[in-house]
Amino acid sequence: MAAEASSASPAAEGKMTVVVGVDESDHSFHALQRVLRHFFPPGQPQRYRLVVVTAIPTAIGVVSPGVVMDVRAFVEADLNRAAQRVLDKAKDICAQVAGDAEFEAVVGDARRVLCDAAERHHAEMLVVGSHGYGAIKRAVLGSVSDYCVHHAHCTVMIVKKPKHKN
Amino acid sequence: MEGTGQAAASGMAGARVDDGAAGGKALKVVAAVDASEESLHALSWALDHVVRCHPDAALVVVHAQHAVDHFVYPVAAHGIAYAPATAVESMRKAQEENSRRILARALDMCKERQVDATGAIVEGDPKEAICQAVERFQAGLLVLGSRGLGRIKRAFLGSVSDYLSHHACCPVLVVKPTKAQAK
Repeated sequence: MAAEASSASPAAEGKMTVVVGVDESDHSFHALQRVLRHFFPPGQPQRYRLVVVTAIPTAIGVVSPGVVMDVRAFVEADLNRAAQRVLDKAKDICAQVAGDAEFEAVVGDARRVLCDAAERHHAEMLVVGSHGYGAIKRAVLGSVSDYCVHHAHCTVMIVKKPKHKN
Repeated sequence: MEGTGQAAASGMAGARVDDGAAGGKALKVVAAVDASEESLHALSWALDHVVRCHPDAALVVVHAQHAVDHFVYPVAAHGIAYAPATAVESMRKAQEENSRRILARALDMCKERQVDATGAIVEGDPKEAICQAVERFQAGLLVLGSRGLGRIKRAFLGSVSDYLSHHACCPVLVVKPTKAQAK
């Protein structure tokens, strides 16, 4: 009965949607765990709707031109598998969240994928981990969290992995 | 009996030092405000979306006040502005009055939503002052508006929120103005 009530109420209640971006890095899983700890405490009716998104880099960016087409298909399949592994790991971490959570793997550049996912799901909040790069690394490597803060239309939460535990 | 008492005491001390893997740890939210509408909007967003769903959350509203002495150095030579002590004092008083007004507005907003909040004023460069405040309060979340520096400093592209999102020791929530507000 309680389950029916909770599945019927989201439409009426207007649960807030939270999109969390994950990749293979520890930082993003740490961010996901933080979100779960603070926004999806176990044993309580969930007040938010969780969507976990990972980006699959396009194979074109990875494979240099002039390579046999077969290789590209192989690379694409491998990238898809890697993304699926990321989502599986995320599903394990989210096991405690009541069945609401959605998991998506989208092809494209991580920056655009996360911002687009936030818009598509009408998210109230987008959560990203941060590698904690310094300013120079960020300028050279490109920072997804920087891009999201400036370009997402919704609130953005940046979670850093603490450098040292005291 | 004494043994259990000691064990309980050391257990509590351990709990205090521990980061708190337990789900019961209350969320401490720090919200930084200044005179801009965006920062107040950020506070209101946080009140509606975060604090409302965490009834045991503790909220601290922080205002960073530029240190007054920074501007004026009593240098006699070379014609740099020399401000008599009275002028420095009155500037400081004006700043404090301004800070108090800003905090009052923010705390009123919290009161309207029946949220208990404490206010704090920190002095100095906003970026570092808020960063240190977050560490001191051991915040679990920092809330910022995205154009918190106001229109004139918008040219710096919200450098305070940029700095804090990379240097604060806790997760940072950057709240964007709604489309209606973005003029």
